[in-house]
Amino acid sequence: MKNSNIKLFLIILSVSFYSANSLAQNNVNGWKPQIVEKMYVLPPKHLNKVLNNDFNKSLLAINLQNTDNKIKNRIEKISELNSLLPGSSKEEGLEIQHQIIINKRDYIKDMNDLLIMKKEKLNTKKIFFKKIEKKFKGNSLKNKTTSNFLNNKSSAIKRSQKLDFKILENTSYNLSKRSKYFKQYQINKDAVKKLKLAIEKHPMSNENILYKDPLNKVEAINNYVHEIDTEIAVLEMKEQMINYMAKIVALDAMSLAEKVAFDDENNNKVVPTNFNDPVNVISVFTN
Amino acid sequence: MTKILIKSTILLTLIFSPYAANANTIDNLERERAKALNLILDKSISIGDRKSKLEKSKMRLLDLERMTINSKNINKNPSYQTIKAFEKFDLTFLVHSSLEKGKSLSLTWLEKIGLTTENLMSTRVSRK
Repeated sequence: MKNSNIKLFLIILSVSFYSANSLAQNNVNGWKPQIVEKMYVLPPKHLNKVLNNDFNKSLLAINLQNTDNKIKNRIEKISELNSLLPGSSKEEGLEIQHQIIINKRDYIKDMNDLLIMKKEKLNTKKIFFKKIEKKFKGNSLKNKTTSNFLNNKSSAIKRSQKLDFKILENTSYNLSKRSKYFKQYQINKDAVKKLKLAIEKHPMSNENILYKDPLNKVEAINNYVHEIDTEIAVLEMKEQMINYMAKIVALDAMSLAEKVAFDDENNNKVVPTNFNDPVNVISVFTN
Repeated sequence: MTKILIKSTILLTLIFSPYAANANTIDNLERERAKALNLILDKSISIGDRKSKLEKSKMRLLDLERMTINSKNINKNPSYQTIKAFEKFDLTFLVHSSLEKGKSLSLTWLEKIGLTTENLMSTRVSRK
């Protein structure tokens, strides 16, 4: 019984360590989005999908899944132990209660890990979206300063495109004189033209207003960031819940420890023998 | 003294080497354009020679003009030279401009700098 007392003391000690301060200091494997910069042009809805797919491949996602499974198993075990409690003897009951407290402690530990991992996922997502937002804002600011130049350049491109056919038809640019770049330019231009047509005809191209309007894109990204913030706030509330759970488990463990100690006192109550009284030592001499 | 000189040379080389290696398309275009204009103004060569040389130069110039117009690198932090080049399309992109107007390269350039037949005819020779 002395051993069980020590065990319970250790449980109380470990449970009390899961206080509010320790909750945030767990180390879990991180997730760094492996998304190429080209993907940034995607509309936010698709970007979110790509980001989620990237997360599913990460180590953090695997750990999250494993912890989730562990939590499910713990809850099942606690329910099973609770069902065993009514028909058990006093000694068995104490052991079952002991096991319940251990499982509850582990549940809190796993749940704490899970919440930290979820928070990390959301924070990484938030940083990612903030980065894109910053990039967009930076680009639009830059565009304003160089807008004149860009206007001139786009008009130059249009003028050049109008002349493409004329250049091709012009007899002075005969086949033998054409450079490698000239030939490749024509091939690539044709290919680009075909691709542009395909993009215009694509059903998603018309539906995606966000893709065309960068202001809407920033707004959509802001909405995602807001959603993430909300989820983080909910997780923080859950963390508080876990704290209270940890306190209840600690109190349960303390009560069980007291119960065990009280029972020990009652069971091992030895009436002290007074050897100073000759009446009490008669048996020593007679046997 | 020699050590200081060596060190400063190394330092200068390190500072200017990226600029030397990063000769952009607009620089190349400018170089080729200068060559073409030189040919137009060169009195020492025959008309036939000038024509054949200009044809070759025109091809190179066309390629370079297309490269410059379609280059995306120059969109990022365009230099003053680049901004001005696009502001004056007709003078920078001579081949494109001449094709647009349906005139020869030399005529397009001369007209653009104000040397038209009308302008020349209206001038008079006088002694000051």
